[in-house]
Amino acid sequence: MMLKYPFTEEQNTLIDLVTQIGEEYIKPYALKWDEEETYDERPIKALADADLFGIIIPQEYGGLGWGSFEMCLAVEKLSYYCAGITTIYAASFLGSYPIILFGNEEQKKKYLPEIAKGKKICAFSLTEPQAGSDAFAIKTIAKKEKDYYILNGMKHFITNGGIADIYIVIAMTDPAKGARGASAFIVEKNDPGFSVGKKEKKLGLRASVTTELFFNDCKIPKDRLLGKEGMGFIIALKTLDFGRCGVGAQALGIAQAAMEVSLKHATSRIQFGQPIYNFQAVSHTFAEMAIKIEAARALVYNATKYIDSGAKDISGISSIVKCFASDVAMWVTERAIQMMGGFGYMRDYPVQKYFRDAKCLQIYEGTNEIQRNIIARELIKYYK
Amino acid sequence: MFEKIKLEDLSKENILAYGEFYKGELNSSSLEILSPLKEIAQTLNKKLILVSLIGSLENIKDWEEIKKSLADEVWFVINEELKDFREDLYTEVLVKIVKFSQPYGFFFPATKIGMSLAPRVAGALQVGLCAHVNNLEVKDNQIIMARPTYGENIIAKLISKSIPIMATISLGAFGIKYGEKEPSIKEIIFPEDFVWKSKLKIRRFAPSKKKPTKLSTAKVIVAGGRGLKNKETFQKLFELANLLGAEVGATRPVCYEGWVEEERMIGISGVTVRPKVYIGFGISGALQHTVGMENSEFIIAVNTDKEAPLVKIANLALIGDAGKILELLLKNLSK
Amino acid sequence: MEKIIVCIKGVPKPGSIKVDPETHTLKRENMELILNPNDRPALEMALRLKNTYNTEVVVISMGPPNVIPLLKYIYALGADQIILLSDRAFAGSDTLATSYVLAKAIEKLSPFSLVLMGLKSIDGETAQVPPETASLLGIPSLTNVKDLFMERGKWIAIREMDYGEEEIEVTPPIVASVSPLAFDYIRPPSLKRLLEVKTKEPLICQVKDLNLDPQRLGLQGSPTQVIEVFEKKIETKGLVLEGSPEELVEKLIEILKDKGLIKF
Repeated sequence: MMLKYPFTEEQNTLIDLVTQIGEEYIKPYALKWDEEETYDERPIKALADADLFGIIIPQEYGGLGWGSFEMCLAVEKLSYYCAGITTIYAASFLGSYPIILFGNEEQKKKYLPEIAKGKKICAFSLTEPQAGSDAFAIKTIAKKEKDYYILNGMKHFITNGGIADIYIVIAMTDPAKGARGASAFIVEKNDPGFSVGKKEKKLGLRASVTTELFFNDCKIPKDRLLGKEGMGFIIALKTLDFGRCGVGAQALGIAQAAMEVSLKHATSRIQFGQPIYNFQAVSHTFAEMAIKIEAARALVYNATKYIDSGAKDISGISSIVKCFASDVAMWVTERAIQMMGGFGYMRDYPVQKYFRDAKCLQIYEGTNEIQRNIIARELIKYYK
Repeated sequence: MFEKIKLEDLSKENILAYGEFYKGELNSSSLEILSPLKEIAQTLNKKLILVSLIGSLENIKDWEEIKKSLADEVWFVINEELKDFREDLYTEVLVKIVKFSQPYGFFFPATKIGMSLAPRVAGALQVGLCAHVNNLEVKDNQIIMARPTYGENIIAKLISKSIPIMATISLGAFGIKYGEKEPSIKEIIFPEDFVWKSKLKIRRFAPSKKKPTKLSTAKVIVAGGRGLKNKETFQKLFELANLLGAEVGATRPVCYEGWVEEERMIGISGVTVRPKVYIGFGISGALQHTVGMENSEFIIAVNTDKEAPLVKIANLALIGDAGKILELLLKNLSK
Repeated sequence: MEKIIVCIKGVPKPGSIKVDPETHTLKRENMELILNPNDRPALEMALRLKNTYNTEVVVISMGPPNVIPLLKYIYALGADQIILLSDRAFAGSDTLATSYVLAKAIEKLSPFSLVLMGLKSIDGETAQVPPETASLLGIPSLTNVKDLFMERGKWIAIREMDYGEEEIEVTPPIVASVSPLAFDYIRPPSLKRLLEVKTKEPLICQVKDLNLDPQRLGLQGSPTQVIEVFEKKIETKGLVLEGSPEELVEKLIEILKDKGLIKF
């Protein structure tokens, strides 16, 4: 980092702790998890024991009561070691935001303390096979019967499917009302009629778990409804507004790692009798990487501070953060491979993993194309 | 069967060595420590006595080894209760022997048992205890002990001001030597009122199975690469490892060729090692290998290519055919 | 169950120790202290037992005051109470003198069910202090313990010996040294507790607090004494030899002998 930020003592403690967890619990295994596409619960247990699932949970529910900024610091530092593990971690935040933002007192009391301790992992379940970017096209139905809701349908590409204990599920309570007919529910992993489908085989983020979810007459008590009926998409969109900066932070960590690994190579790899960093085509590429990463970091940090100030209009800026930082990560990781030549292409070196991991950041939590739609839509509100 | 002797009749001011038995077999480490102790005993004009605690005489398997050993005498304490190692009872027995025989020195092999037992004995006697000694000498009538310390880069020389002088002696630090004279063997008879009781009850024992590779913690590693040309030559590394007390490591291509199992791979996708001595046979030193071993304390490279990266980082490089040198080395060592 | 006591040690960070070539003593100025890595499994075992049996974990450390930051870190791992045994009179203690001080401090904390220690420190590497302390306390000791639990008021310990694995039953209190390989997961510190520790101070105990016999402390109370330390030098950095295989093998054997790998 060329630009040193004035972190508080508490933030430095957080950074040191995340770094320690990265060095000890992640770094030695990250390539192995990626290669074998296996889920190892130990780093998640370490994050839980370290209280790191409690960053954004309010203090009265056992969390640290911190904001998006600290959450992003943790995500950035963690992602430096493995973006796959970070995906599990950040996706759990995504699943806890709906309860923090829209849960009633009973729901908060019931779920948040265990989430803060990391005893319960969360998943946010919106996407369906026919409803990706077009989220309003979801078909999962929740029908009210006396004191229960009966859910039927399926979700796919759900991060933390199978390893999560709590699933926030968006389902249609009144399909006739379209977007205003959706509601958000809390589904627990042992609820009757709920099951987890196949684990997806992914290009990157392979230490994380992505699955289908099935709801076959899944019966849940009516007090699992978040907010009111019809608020489903408002809850989903607000959650994504908060979550998108996390993707930006994840991008920072990957890009930083890719630059460092390839830079070490470029300064020690001798060709034509000198380190390849001496060649301008190489050194300028690194200069460009540094420009982009510092700019992305400044953006992530400033945007999250803006969010933490209590700002309401965060859709546009969080889309800008997600879009810009993930595009930077994609560019930097691709260049990092190029700077390492054949070594970069080999799976013994981590840069190819960074490259594959970065690709997903341009896709999940709303593709970067959808982000540009949001930014464009928000933009004219500021300049009408 | 052999001379029985009471505690009060034990000869005094000798040098004692602990003879560790397991299932009737004398641990070779107990024979190893006799080698330096014999020299010390001779210099100081003292007798060297091997002290062993056993359950019964019947199942002792290696009388030959005991009879050939460097010890002047072997003292046995025999009691059914001593069948299994239990540190509290073993300590009491040894402390009694020390109190009566007032030895000048008492030494243990640094086995797990030795390391559990010696500190208890030293604590009970309130005397000093040196650990992992790998060199012993006598200077001005004083035993000086040396041991590596602080991560093994630093050697400390120690003395002990209390009697008996006690130490655990590093495993493998000395070779086994044999004596010319058969030691006289005695059984120590304990008083009637001695309580053969331990607070420890062994409920279950599972003998260890196959030893896992200890590559990451190995002090010496002999590694091989493609330069060894074939699997047969590569396998010879195991013979060398045996002779040097080393572990066998390998490069990635060799593992993928199936010359050796992948657990032995050193480098990015394998194990990181930092032995005291690393010897690379026919390893050119591609980055994916060298990052896993570059912190070795002393690197020896054997390779035909003078320009190979491993040759560049080696403390000593031998330029020649790795397979030939390995075979010749084995031949010379087994002489 | 009575309390569990864990003894831990601050050790110089590997590589930060140098020998003064003139005086043959250790240069301690630039020494950075870390928690002895082998103590982590001992702490983990104590904290797991604390969870299972709802008992108190008291951590004792003997050393200079610069170990205090490490002790705060131990608190963040979940220890309930931390005691630092620190006194100039302790300087130069060997394992006997160290075990004596620890035994006295442990005695003062009676009643206790268990004392846990790491198998060995990475600096002294003697592995002697756990059995020696037990010996001075007159209680049983077990080394290399992998697992420990209670059954009808007795400790059941699984320990790894040279010949295999033993399951041992023993009445508390005992001293156990914990195998470095006991756990495949060891917890990190808690962020909340890390933020709290800034205001926490360990209880510091000196000679006068422990009724210690001054004759048995420090250099004076240590029968074993270091008379000299020296650093091993790397002799042949970057030597490249060419020649016949016979000549090369001869050189190789010479080096191997020099390294103590061949004994004759």
